[in-house]
Amino acid sequence: MWFARGRYILERLVRGLPIILAIVVVNFFLIRLAPGDAAQVIAGEAGAASEEYMAQIRRQFGLDQPLYIQFLSYMKNIVTFDLGFSFRHGREVSSLIFDRLGATAILMGAAMVISVTLGTLLGAIAAMRDRTIVSHVIVIFAVVSYATPLFWVGLMLIIVFSIQLGWFPTSGIITVGADYTGLRAVVDVLHHLVLPAVALSCFYMALYARLMRSSMLETLGQDYIRTARAKGLSDRTIMATHALRNAVLPVLTMAGVQVSGMLGGSVIVESVFGWPGLGLLAFESLFARDINLLLGIFFLSSILVVVTNAVVDVIYTIIDPRIALNTGRTHG
Amino acid sequence: MDHLVTSRRLFNGLLLGTAFGALLPASQSLANPQSGGTLTITTTPEPAIITNALSSAPTTAELATKIFDGLLEYDLELKPKPSLAESWTISPDGKIITFKLRQGVTWHDGKPFTSADVQFALMEVVKKFHPRGQGNLGPVQSIDTPDAHTAVFNLAHPYPPLMMGLSSLESPIVPRHIYEGTDFRNNPAVNAPIGTGPFKFARWEKGNFIQLDKNENYWRPGRPYLDRLIIRFIADSATRAAGVERGEIDVATFGTINPVEMRRLETLPHIAIAKGGYEAIAPVMMLELNVQKPPFDDKRVRLAVAYALDRNFITRAIWHGFGKPAVGPISSFMKGNGAFTDQNILRFDVRDRLEIANRLLDEAGLKRGANGMRVKIFHDPAPFGEDWRRMGEYIKQALARVGIEVELRNRDYPSFVRLVHNEYDFNMTSTWSIGMADPTLGVQRQTWSKTINRAVPFGNVSQYSNPEVDKLWEAAQTEIDPAKRNQIFHKLQELLVADSPIIWLMEMDLVAVQNKRVKDLITSPLGLRGGLYETWIQR
Repeated sequence: MWFARGRYILERLVRGLPIILAIVVVNFFLIRLAPGDAAQVIAGEAGAASEEYMAQIRRQFGLDQPLYIQFLSYMKNIVTFDLGFSFRHGREVSSLIFDRLGATAILMGAAMVISVTLGTLLGAIAAMRDRTIVSHVIVIFAVVSYATPLFWVGLMLIIVFSIQLGWFPTSGIITVGADYTGLRAVVDVLHHLVLPAVALSCFYMALYARLMRSSMLETLGQDYIRTARAKGLSDRTIMATHALRNAVLPVLTMAGVQVSGMLGGSVIVESVFGWPGLGLLAFESLFARDINLLLGIFFLSSILVVVTNAVVDVIYTIIDPRIALNTGRTHG
Repeated sequence: MDHLVTSRRLFNGLLLGTAFGALLPASQSLANPQSGGTLTITTTPEPAIITNALSSAPTTAELATKIFDGLLEYDLELKPKPSLAESWTISPDGKIITFKLRQGVTWHDGKPFTSADVQFALMEVVKKFHPRGQGNLGPVQSIDTPDAHTAVFNLAHPYPPLMMGLSSLESPIVPRHIYEGTDFRNNPAVNAPIGTGPFKFARWEKGNFIQLDKNENYWRPGRPYLDRLIIRFIADSATRAAGVERGEIDVATFGTINPVEMRRLETLPHIAIAKGGYEAIAPVMMLELNVQKPPFDDKRVRLAVAYALDRNFITRAIWHGFGKPAVGPISSFMKGNGAFTDQNILRFDVRDRLEIANRLLDEAGLKRGANGMRVKIFHDPAPFGEDWRRMGEYIKQALARVGIEVELRNRDYPSFVRLVHNEYDFNMTSTWSIGMADPTLGVQRQTWSKTINRAVPFGNVSQYSNPEVDKLWEAAQTEIDPAKRNQIFHKLQELLVADSPIIWLMEMDLVAVQNKRVKDLITSPLGLRGGLYETWIQR
């Protein structure tokens, strides 16, 4: 079984390779459809520039080369996992991304934990207490937070919890200049993390609550639940061993989508809360036409999506052993 | 209160009359400065590099001017003051300038500062790499260094604006021993700079903040007062405002907080608007008209637009009073040196301005069609934020009243630069331009025919070419008699406004928002782009 699973994962990842490659190629050409280049942005920001200055920047960035040459050298770099050089930042793309990865991972991880646990919990409660006040409140909460724009949620959290109540800092990841170390530093980061993580989890929490509720309601109407009841099992046992396990499958699918989509959400949350992560980096590099950096982030996220999909599929088979390991061969 | 102000002025006046007066900073505060503390500033966007010899981007300038000194500084009346140069003499023909340099100055790494650094920094770095280096130092052919503390500038021809372009903003002095023989642009020291200035570079957490620490060995005794400067980067304007409101941020630079939000913050007890400090920047907001394409190839249509827009409304309603209506290309900040004039300048704020606009358009042969419109134009507002789009919307409405239909094209920054400034694919575009402390350095490039260049953004994008105007700009470059030079500038303003290739709308106030515990924030005509060595925090 474990051997089969290992092989399954491997095959899934190998099948992801051409997808990643296709994404890389499409990205490379799509990005160049946007008018303006990095040299123009830098010269524009500088307020004035001479022609030699512009030519110098273009030559340095390789922007004076024909497109196919730029493409070939890019592909050559990619297959060796060399993400190239960000001329705007004067550093290797990989080191820039690596520097920001931690901040984004903390934020996404926290948002993931908050949204999955609270979302499924709320959804399950709403289903078990169907047609009661509790259920209505949860459903209304889910609809509202599903429909509220992310940046607005972020600003409201800042206004209420930073400015009015003064409980949390408005922005950043650490208290700048305080130079905390050890446990004090960890607490400081967590203190800064609360508001952005809550903001980022709101939307998905609502999604999970709604999914879990409807999935639970459906499961609770199934024959095997009725059978379990007839056997005289307690409500708690029925919920824990029969209903939850089956109802959580659509939530899992959504969690996979969340990981892939979260970079988009974190662009907004990171901007609002000044959280120095990858989302903010992607946003800024787009407006600076810092193409190598942007392509590097895209490349990384496409890998993230492919890997997440494989992982979700594997977890499926663990939660529900009836789902066969589809190794690419047709089943009878 | 009046009494207090009067007696303070009297007090300063008395002191200034004595030899000691010269040691006082321009805006002496009543309390005694306290040393220590951290000043947190927010600015946007995060700079790409922090050595301003390579870029004149505003955020680069805000940072680098704390790390580097220039040869000169300027007082609030734009008179040169000593900095790294203690004194100077100009030869009668204006072609040789000798600077005596300050002794005992050291770089942040402990090495001594000498005239070799000045020679290298200006000739090998600023003149070649600073985006305005050619304008500031163009006629400087060589710099001789007869001894370690003398620098002799040899000019191809007299160049009066030179003495206005030697601040840390325009001509930062960078260390020869770090850069000589290296590829300047790619030297790692570019983003971990070493200067002689009041603050030393400490660290840069990308996407988060830059930290500068006090230079304990700064050549100005007892300065700077602050222990540390933190420059934070926050992408969202509302969050920046929240940070100021909560006291996490002491100073928000110009452009980081919307004008309407600044007016709200101003009402809070602990917050003030820091005015002044842009006299040497003299920014003017304007509409550039593409004079090579119809309909703005016709002067009457350009003037009609100038009459149709209400500068008072724009200043009051769109920019919430942070500025004043412009008269012409040269800002009234240059009143002090006599370059500015409002005499003999065509005025558009007349009572019957809409009738005049309609008449001019009739004369230009643009008849009203069935929908009441005469002609359609594209307006590309500068992609600098909400307020610029609001101004675009006002322009659309105002011009519709005289029968000009405006279609707004809002684009992101790189697209804007490519389409407007490199392809000249526009009719009308808004922007602002830094006038600098001298019209030759800042204003000239808007209308001089030699700055029409598709390869270089933010030059003469109107593509205005007028031999008479060219001749006047070129004469101003070499005229050493200040009175004659100012007459040239007056004539230029008269001609340019009468021809209106550009509609100069508003002299901008580049105000900052600050916490009131910050004292003596603005003591230089460069404002937050000065060294901040006099700034202190009340505790």
